[in-house]
Amino acid sequence: MKTKLLFLVSFLSFILSFSQIKITGKVTFKNKGVSEVNVTLKDTYDGATTDLEGNFSFETTEKGNRILTFVHPKYNEIEKTILIADQDVYMNAELKEQINEIDAVVVSAGSIEASDKKRATALLTPIDIYTTAGADGQISSALNYLPGVQKVGETEGLFVRGGTGTETKIFMDGSLINNYFSSSVPGIAGRDRFNTSLFKGNIFSSGGYSALYGQALSGALMLESVDLPDQSSYDFGVSPIFLNGGFQKLSENKDHSYGATLGYSNLGLMQDVFNFNTDFIDAPRGFNGDANFRIKTKSGGFFKYYGMFDNNKMGVKTESLEPGYDFTLVRLKGENTYHNLSFKQKFGKYLFNTSASYSYNQSDLNFSTETNDIESEKTQLLNDGNYINFKAVIDRKINKISALRGGFELNYANEKLNFGEVNKNYRDLISSAFVETDLGFSNHFSAKIGVRGENSSYLNKTNIAPRFALAYRLAKDWTTSFAYGLFFQNPESKYINSSAQLDFQQSQHFIFQVQRSTEGRSLRFEAFYKKYDELIKTQNIIPDADQNQQVQTAFNNNGNGFAKGLELFWRDKKTFENIDYWVSYSFLDSKRDFLNYPVSLKPNFAAEHTISLVAKRFIPEWKTGVNLSYTYAKGRPYYDIVTQNDKNIIRNEGRLKDYNSLNLSFNYLPNLGKKDAKAFTIFVVSISNVLGTKNIYGYNFSQNGSRSSAVVPPVNTFVFVGMFISFGVDKTQDAINNNL
Amino acid sequence: MKKYILSFALSCISLLSFAQNNYEKVMKEKIAKIETCKTPEDFQALANDFQRIAEKETTKWQPNYYTAFSYIQKGRIMMREGKMQDLDVVADQAQKYIDAAGSTDKDNSEIHLLQKMVYSLKMMVNPQERYMTFGMKAQEELTIAEKLNPDNPRVSLIKAEDTYFTPEQYGGSKTKGIEQFKTALGKFNTFKPKTTLDPDWGKPEAEYFIGLGTSTTK
Repeated sequence: MKTKLLFLVSFLSFILSFSQIKITGKVTFKNKGVSEVNVTLKDTYDGATTDLEGNFSFETTEKGNRILTFVHPKYNEIEKTILIADQDVYMNAELKEQINEIDAVVVSAGSIEASDKKRATALLTPIDIYTTAGADGQISSALNYLPGVQKVGETEGLFVRGGTGTETKIFMDGSLINNYFSSSVPGIAGRDRFNTSLFKGNIFSSGGYSALYGQALSGALMLESVDLPDQSSYDFGVSPIFLNGGFQKLSENKDHSYGATLGYSNLGLMQDVFNFNTDFIDAPRGFNGDANFRIKTKSGGFFKYYGMFDNNKMGVKTESLEPGYDFTLVRLKGENTYHNLSFKQKFGKYLFNTSASYSYNQSDLNFSTETNDIESEKTQLLNDGNYINFKAVIDRKINKISALRGGFELNYANEKLNFGEVNKNYRDLISSAFVETDLGFSNHFSAKIGVRGENSSYLNKTNIAPRFALAYRLAKDWTTSFAYGLFFQNPESKYINSSAQLDFQQSQHFIFQVQRSTEGRSLRFEAFYKKYDELIKTQNIIPDADQNQQVQTAFNNNGNGFAKGLELFWRDKKTFENIDYWVSYSFLDSKRDFLNYPVSLKPNFAAEHTISLVAKRFIPEWKTGVNLSYTYAKGRPYYDIVTQNDKNIIRNEGRLKDYNSLNLSFNYLPNLGKKDAKAFTIFVVSISNVLGTKNIYGYNFSQNGSRSSAVVPPVNTFVFVGMFISFGVDKTQDAINNNL
Repeated sequence: MKKYILSFALSCISLLSFAQNNYEKVMKEKIAKIETCKTPEDFQALANDFQRIAEKETTKWQPNYYTAFSYIQKGRIMMREGKMQDLDVVADQAQKYIDAAGSTDKDNSEIHLLQKMVYSLKMMVNPQERYMTFGMKAQEELTIAEKLNPDNPRVSLIKAEDTYFTPEQYGGSKTKGIEQFKTALGKFNTFKPKTTLDPDWGKPEAEYFIGLGTSTTK
């Protein structure tokens, strides 16, 4: 009996030792249950996943002192020791947030990023630029449909929040691009020289930007060039106004690539078809080419080179406003080359980034008059510029979302101007140093603090510009950010025509933003105040009697001004099936006393209200994409200001009529889905200003102010037809996969 | 007395064998669960279950494989529900376990197929932007998976799905898709997994699509 009992006891205890103990508990973060936490009894298969309320429960046969782990990708891992005896165990856990790049709030006040790097909710993607009707595939034109950018048709450049076109600078891989736009004649805006497909993304800042960038009072556009292409390819483009071809070759082991393109454009053919407002004596035409290479080194470094050249030519004839002449003529010849070499490499926690660029720009303008079919002697305005830019930045990660970076930049400009008797040689070396830190306090709160110092050899002055920005997440989908910064810019060299002592011009930005982003929808609200000081004041130098071009010279920095406004951006890909649209609205109130303004005035490049709508739809049945865009801008003021007896006076002023433009474009992809097709073709038809609205950009006045003529676009409605063929890579797929 | 000893011995043996075959038993139990999981939450829980096993059984590729597979299934459901915002995170989780599985068993058709599925998920986050990178990579992986084992019915299944959901204008079609599902089903009928723990999912899916025919769904 005893033995029986002994056996029974030992048997029971054996069974008991295998018997199941229940382990339960609740996992919380800030007193709220967290679901999908992986609870594991370490080194066993036993465990459970928490439910929506954060509760978990599982059974185990393990005994003794054990460790319970709680794992969730968004929180730090937790370990808890438990003793498993013969009683059920109850164990709670309080999680700590894991700080990580994906969830961290980023400072977005003032900037809109077109990128696919991080999240699906990115406001814009690089393809959005191509599929914006009316943008002609140009980055700068596409940005006109974003809040904060003014529609100014007669001059190239990005006019940001009451700033002039030259107050926004454009950078490629960190390096300043001088002369981003092609040379132009007065009244006709130059075009982007750079091919949109060169860039994989961009950050457009309409204020409060990083200390890494300088010499721009209003905004900065940072372009990022593409890395290695995915495949080798050849492509051609044909249209009545251009012809181009290019190739990209990727090495077998995908560690280097090279490519080149060549293009020719001529508007001559279209002159016969369309009713141009502008009388081109020489139709705009140009020749361009570029080459690139990219090399990945064995040690993980990456070299990128991009070089381009272009020339352009045109001649314009307009009816003369002056008595005694029938016409005034202007002819332009432009030459430009740009080369950029950049290198980056990671060394442990350090990221080293350096780039150097060289550019040369020549614009040769010839002015003349015509009377009774006889052309006068030409007056030449020859501009020659050499520019060198060098920048080095070291970036050190501190933890997952904090970083410290610093570096220096050198900008050298050497410009020569020949205009009649005037021979000007302008040289300036701007040396800058900067440090900046990204501080991530939690996934909800981060800050960026930076300072930049610059010295200009021409001005013989130094400035210090502090900048900071904060971002805070208000709720799951809501973020808010604030940015402040001081910005300096040298006076534009074209106004430096006398020996006046000048200083940096400066502006201060205050930007407040609230943003909400959910799946497929984004809403942004921004309010800003911008204060300008030390703006240059100019007087007109008595122009050449034979032409109407006024030359201004700066004499002091007593100018000032302000701009304030509200902006709204709404993008929605969700509400209407297959339709993706965005709306932006900008309210701008600005006044300036600068250049030749005799008093503080609303600038002639600032419209009070601007509304843009962009909509895109892809129709799979027709293999066609339909894109639409509309812009309305309230009429801008215009002024006729002249210098009389050393004083600037307004002779004429008024307000332009409101600007309206509706644009349409279609992309037809006939080879879509033909898997065995060897060539892939895209047909593009775009109609700008479909309704034929007669927009006016401003007025020119005769020397005595009694006669005037409107500055109008070269053509009211324009139709572009083009065909793009690529071999090797099925590019048509780019457009369609959204619809799978 | 003898009885007791016998029963004691028996229970010992059964418990011992239980302990020995615990891995297989648990795995089989969890693998069976794949068919019953419906929601992203279900698959997350299943992924966690497999992950626990994977952490202990570092020499075996299957636990990592199934962890990755559960994440992929979670992602595919999220994709169908239009929740693209968090798809990258789920795909990155799956990638971790594919890497782990791949390091223990190279040149495995099944693992390359999962890699294809992860790339497809990443592409779906933003197809227009990502087709050139992730779309191409997905295609490459599918080719590798097929080359490694032309008889793998799951390779045929995923191919059929791609065709089925691609609109006709782009070279896809429901009819062609159904044909490919039938081919896949044929392969499922002859396919024998090497071990009981090797992947054996997908047959009901092929049958489901064949059952739908060409007309009913979009």
